[in-house]
Amino acid sequence: MPSPLLVPMSQNTPYIVEMRDISKVYPNGVRANDHVTFAVRPREIHALVGENGAGKSTLMKILYGMERPSSGQIFVRGKPVSIHSPHEAIALGIGMVHQNFMLVPSFTIAENVVLGAEPVRRRLLDYKAAVAITRQLSAQYGLEVDPEAPVEAVPVGMRQRVEILKALYRGADVLILDEPTAVLTPQETHELFTAIRQLVQSGKTVIFISHKLREVKEISDRVSVMRNARLVDTVDTAAVTEEQLARMMVGREVFLHVDKAPLRRGEPVLQVRSLEYVTEAGVETLKGVSFNVHEGEILGVAGVEGNGQTELVEVIAGLRPATAGQVLLCGQDITNASPRQVRQAGVAHIPEDRLTNGAALSMSIAENLIVDRYERPPFTRGGLLQPTAIKENAEWLIEQFAIRAPDGDVPVGSLSGGNMQKVVLARELSAQPKLLIAAQPTRGVDIGASEFIYEQLVRARDNGVAVLLVSADLSEVLSLADRILVMKDGQITAVFDNTPSLTEEEIGYYMLGVKRMSAEAIAARA
Amino acid sequence: MESTIPLSFDRITARKAVQAERRRSMLIDLGVTLATIIAALLMGFIVIALLGKDPFLAYEALLTGPITRLGRTGRWLELATNLILVGLGVSIAFRARQFSLGGQGQMVAGAIVAALIAIYVPLPPLLGVLIPIAAAMVTGFLLGLLPGVMKAYLRANEIVSTLMLNAIVLRLYDYVLTFHLKPEGSATTRSLPVQPTAQLPTFYELFGVDLGRFNLGVILVVLGAIGVWLLLERTPFGFAIRAIGANEQFARYGGIDTRRVIMLAFAAGGAVSALAGVHLLLGVHRRLFLDFVGNIGWDGITVALLARNNPLLVPLSGLFYAYLLVGGDRVEQQAQVGSELVQVIQAVIILLITAQVLGDWIRARRARTQAEE
Amino acid sequence: MDALNVIFSVAFLAAVLRVSTPLILPALGGLISELGGVINIALEGIMLVAACTGVLVSVWTQSAWLGALAGVAMGTFVALVLAFFHLNLKADLILAAIALNLLASGGTIFVVYLVTGDKSSTSRLVSGQMPFLSDFIPGVRALGEIGRLLDQNVLTYAAFVLTAVVALFLYRTRTGMHLRAVGENPEAARSVGINVRRMQYLALVLSGVLAALGGVYLSMGYVKFFARDMTGGRGFIALAAIYLGARKPLGVLIAALVFGAAEALSIQLGNLRVPTQLVQIIPYFATLAALVIYAVVQRQRALARQRAFVQSRAAR
Repeated sequence: MPSPLLVPMSQNTPYIVEMRDISKVYPNGVRANDHVTFAVRPREIHALVGENGAGKSTLMKILYGMERPSSGQIFVRGKPVSIHSPHEAIALGIGMVHQNFMLVPSFTIAENVVLGAEPVRRRLLDYKAAVAITRQLSAQYGLEVDPEAPVEAVPVGMRQRVEILKALYRGADVLILDEPTAVLTPQETHELFTAIRQLVQSGKTVIFISHKLREVKEISDRVSVMRNARLVDTVDTAAVTEEQLARMMVGREVFLHVDKAPLRRGEPVLQVRSLEYVTEAGVETLKGVSFNVHEGEILGVAGVEGNGQTELVEVIAGLRPATAGQVLLCGQDITNASPRQVRQAGVAHIPEDRLTNGAALSMSIAENLIVDRYERPPFTRGGLLQPTAIKENAEWLIEQFAIRAPDGDVPVGSLSGGNMQKVVLARELSAQPKLLIAAQPTRGVDIGASEFIYEQLVRARDNGVAVLLVSADLSEVLSLADRILVMKDGQITAVFDNTPSLTEEEIGYYMLGVKRMSAEAIAARA
Repeated sequence: MESTIPLSFDRITARKAVQAERRRSMLIDLGVTLATIIAALLMGFIVIALLGKDPFLAYEALLTGPITRLGRTGRWLELATNLILVGLGVSIAFRARQFSLGGQGQMVAGAIVAALIAIYVPLPPLLGVLIPIAAAMVTGFLLGLLPGVMKAYLRANEIVSTLMLNAIVLRLYDYVLTFHLKPEGSATTRSLPVQPTAQLPTFYELFGVDLGRFNLGVILVVLGAIGVWLLLERTPFGFAIRAIGANEQFARYGGIDTRRVIMLAFAAGGAVSALAGVHLLLGVHRRLFLDFVGNIGWDGITVALLARNNPLLVPLSGLFYAYLLVGGDRVEQQAQVGSELVQVIQAVIILLITAQVLGDWIRARRARTQAEE
Repeated sequence: MDALNVIFSVAFLAAVLRVSTPLILPALGGLISELGGVINIALEGIMLVAACTGVLVSVWTQSAWLGALAGVAMGTFVALVLAFFHLNLKADLILAAIALNLLASGGTIFVVYLVTGDKSSTSRLVSGQMPFLSDFIPGVRALGEIGRLLDQNVLTYAAFVLTAVVALFLYRTRTGMHLRAVGENPEAARSVGINVRRMQYLALVLSGVLAALGGVYLSMGYVKFFARDMTGGRGFIALAAIYLGARKPLGVLIAALVFGAAEALSIQLGNLRVPTQLVQIIPYFATLAALVIYAVVQRQRALARQRAFVQSRAAR
């Protein structure tokens, strides 16, 4: 089994890993890390928390050699190092378990663990040794796996343990776990924590990236909080409450102001009843969500990404099948209807990933604008497409939505992020929907286009459209929404009317699971 | 609508810039293709010279052969007709990013079903041609439907399924021909001839101009190219195919029933490819025999890919490819250089053209130099 | 009953082995390339090139072994060209393979024409032949029926041995494991430091070597000449055998034998008034059916898994 350089700890440092004054600025000007100093003591469980985009993933990517810092220094066991690749990180004893597992499905667990550094006997793979090694590591660190089972047949919790074993096999002393509980059931999370404690007892150090404060409180010794690319503070977990952590995490400088007409709420347009969704791997992502969205209101869904919002939107839009529950649009049952049926019922959807779903990059703007209606008049008459109508539609929408493009024939892929999003917006709004779902509508969009998109959303709402706004950007939700839902772990944990007295901090507590409304209060207001 | 964003965007100059860029990009692609062809021809030139044969004579034959005698021109056009029809067929599924290699089988199936009618069912003049054509198209459609369903609904690999189907259909054809269509006591394995009313008259028969076996079936090409273009660019179904080819998830998100469209794309392609079989039957050979289609299925796929699956370019690439084939035959007679050399040149051309990296590389370099300005 | 007599005769078995050899070898090669994620559609062309080169070099050097070596080298070279165009120049794998098949078909005839002035075959030349078992163990011929069964060409024995070697390579060596990982999940392979491109080069080169051996057998095994397009589609039958054999070495061997049996059977049954074409269809049909069944089973399994989870949750 390979082992890292056995560098003894330098006498003059209490830290096994120290990242000093790290900054990372991308070529497009985005500052992901701003003079961050982060230090980890040996044999501790150190949690790194922050909202999405706070910079924690970038920081760890730098430590693992997947990114280079723009400035700053890294010390491992007291010695300054320069980490150019994951290989070098592994050689230094740093291992990382990513959110997306890197496993070969048809190989057994033992094969996956040793892949790339296989034990050999007389020039041939020593499979028995691989199994034995896996069993030994598994027993030593309390990570229960079945070495001879093919990875594709085992549950997600075990797959994650395989990833950890991979890192341990390569001699990792410092393990970075990136949002490890995101894909686990509560039972599996419990097993993981037991394993982590055992790892530390055996002499390992664990860096635990998360935004789930309850878990952080449960498992970690110290916590470092990141916000807006800066490290706010590093504290002993025992000395701090979840509220205090939340307060450190939430809070943004930029606050966009949008003019809204007074709320004129009408009948419920969207009614979601006890919606449930279980993935093929058995993870419950939606655990009984119920709420309504009314005519003329914007309902904002706040929450850290990964708490079921993506699945909620996709189930409502017909892109994923619900495993239980109902979705009604103006009284019509559209649960598990096809995307076409959902659209015909009057639903429009701005997807959170426009590159995957929202647009076809090689097709023209004009064609992208009609993908949901190309077979209806005026775009098709007598069984044939009508180019003039298509062109005029494109010209009209380009004008209305101030899309910066010379004409409708330009391929969408040549547009900037903001303009591409405007194309999506133009298409969805021009469908005159009863319900507009906007998921992360300003992600990757510049300020100017963002403002424009906000104006459009508000205008739709003023005209009586029901708007479901799902966003990880809390200030966006606070600016636009009339009512706010908070989602955590696949459930609604709070519902608020958006009054001036509502603060980001208050919502932050619910987003991070520190506080929770009673089921009755939720049901009354949802 | 009041917008807070000043409309300082000058649409006219931007439009000119984009159009100019588009033109330049097309020129790059065209330039690379031409350069490839010239490079391959040059290579062949050198090889012939090295062999001690006369390269000028050879190339004169290659480049002018098909047009220096009417008979050869006819052969060129006849061959092109077959290639274009198959190419049009396979290009439909290719536009949806489905690798249907079933052209060979669909041609043969179309031919044999058409033959059953054209040989044994007496029909009046116009119907004698139209009914076998229709029957062939239906057969091709059904044959394409099978791998279409397998891919769309079962996600089975279409390369394997179409290749398997080809093999099965080709052998069924041999069986039916050998045991059911060959007249008793006949020495060669071939069918009876088709009825006179089922024949597509050659140009000689129509106009007295001897263009070999080149026949009225060229109408199928014209109709086919226009038809496929209309299908892809002017019908909702074609829009759906193109959307799926561009981004399948996007198509689904927009409400398109992607599985049904993919299945039908396979089927539509089959119907068009089958036309090549009918053309061979009613226009060229007027009867069936063994190895009826030769290599046309594969050549048709190449023609489609060279034309980047654009139905308006397929006829051009088909004419080009057929020109090389006929010119190659002539080279053999004239300069005692094997027509196989021409085959080699063709192969090299295809190989070099598929290396798209060249065009991308040029574009990337231009982008970099522009950024530095 | 005549048919059964035919099938269960030793002579038939011997024929199956003989006919299957040029199917087993390219199928093994194709299997390696498929498992590495770069399926080699140019097996047909590689076989052709190897067959031609083998004959010509064996005439020139008057040595069958040198001819075989040259054939393998040439075939491997073609595979290298395919690998280069696809992996370095980003050419479409299928189109490049089609081009190479075309190149092989024309190129081999062209070269033969140059050397012999004959466009159909090299039968006027005295070319080498790969030895049979009886060339090493003369006593075999005296063993009657069994003797005829055992007296196969050395390449036939090689085909069986190579099946085991390929299996060993794929499942018991590090490189084989890396190759399979690359074919199944290149990201995972890359993340543990495996050079994906190098593995794919290796996969294509190995497929070239094996297919070339099959080609050499065609022109220097039972016959001693090269004829135009003598591969007759075997390169594509090999592809079918890969899938019929569930992409495992032993399965591929058996599948190739099935195809070979169908071919041998069709020749025999021709005498018994059963249409050969119908017999030949059976293996292709079987592959198609296998494809459908596999896909359906996959879907059922996924659906069942999801249902099970929902049920177990409801039970809580």
